[in-house]
Amino acid sequence: MAAPPEPGEPEERKLLGFLDVENTPCARHSILYGSLGSVVAGFGHFLFTSRIRRSCDVGVGGFILVTLGCWFHCRYNYAKQRIQERIAREEIKKKILYEGTHLDPERKHNGSSSN
Amino acid sequence: MAHAAQVGLQDATSPIMEELITFHDHALMIIFLICFLVLYALFLTLTTKLTNTNISDAQEMETVWTILPAIILVLIALPSLRILYMTDEVNDPSLTIKSIGHQWYWTYEYTDYGGLIFNSYMLPPLFLEPGDLRLLDVDNRVVLPTEAPIRMMITSQDVLHSWAVPTLGLKTDAIPGRLNQTTFTATRPGVYYGQCSEICGANHSFMPIVLELIPLKIFEMGPVFTL
Repeated sequence: MAAPPEPGEPEERKLLGFLDVENTPCARHSILYGSLGSVVAGFGHFLFTSRIRRSCDVGVGGFILVTLGCWFHCRYNYAKQRIQERIAREEIKKKILYEGTHLDPERKHNGSSSN
Repeated sequence: MAHAAQVGLQDATSPIMEELITFHDHALMIIFLICFLVLYALFLTLTTKLTNTNISDAQEMETVWTILPAIILVLIALPSLRILYMTDEVNDPSLTIKSIGHQWYWTYEYTDYGGLIFNSYMLPPLFLEPGDLRLLDVDNRVVLPTEAPIRMMITSQDVLHSWAVPTLGLKTDAIPGRLNQTTFTATRPGVYYGQCSEICGANHSFMPIVLELIPLKIFEMGPVFTL
């Protein structure tokens, strides 16, 4: 996230000058789905009502709602994944440290299941 | 350390900093959407042909633009408070280091396992070796173990200073006559830089902090205590 751009790489682009879409997890995904939702909602509203200004308002509202919804959904899953990764890392470390000793988690688990 | 012209946060080296980066991303997305909405409203205001100057009643709109910001603030405040209380947890530190701010250097005391005390001065440009970082490298780094909770007790001997290491998500004021405490657990080894973050005189910009985080096994062998 904080690595300097390599010489051959293009400069990082930020939405509205501050949202780093490329390096923020879930941002690109949310903005893209938000844009799609905005187009669908706005265009759909226009097809039914033929009101241009109100359809633009619906499009903007759709963008905000869809982006927010996708963002929270993706971030929730990302947080769950990070927790699972942390647990897995800890278990691997414990396994390496205690393999073959009386503290081996696998031995404890096998011992309790055989009882 | 930060690279030239860096605006964003540095990569996290502690779980607290990871949480802070996550919260920062969350708040930034909300800010982006609000900015987008405001820009759209501005665009509508500038392009409208409607010019009724007698509008006096807009109860529904006023209700919406009162309730909605309150909801947004709650969405921002809840994760913020969660992290705030997380930073205050004290989880049985393995090591306590004292950091004392002076004009214009830091003194570090490792008193848990002996009486190691040393000063940490910025390396003057004339004394830099090739590869050293100007205005950041010091003569004596603070050597600490990774994967172990560490307590830093921070104070000052003269004026206000602030002991800050951005990659660990740490910034604690060094106040004369007061002992402030901060705890952290570093997750990966490396050399991490910080700078004094409270104006303290002419050389405020020239009293950096450098942490050298090494694996616990190597730290236990005692490289720090052979100084």
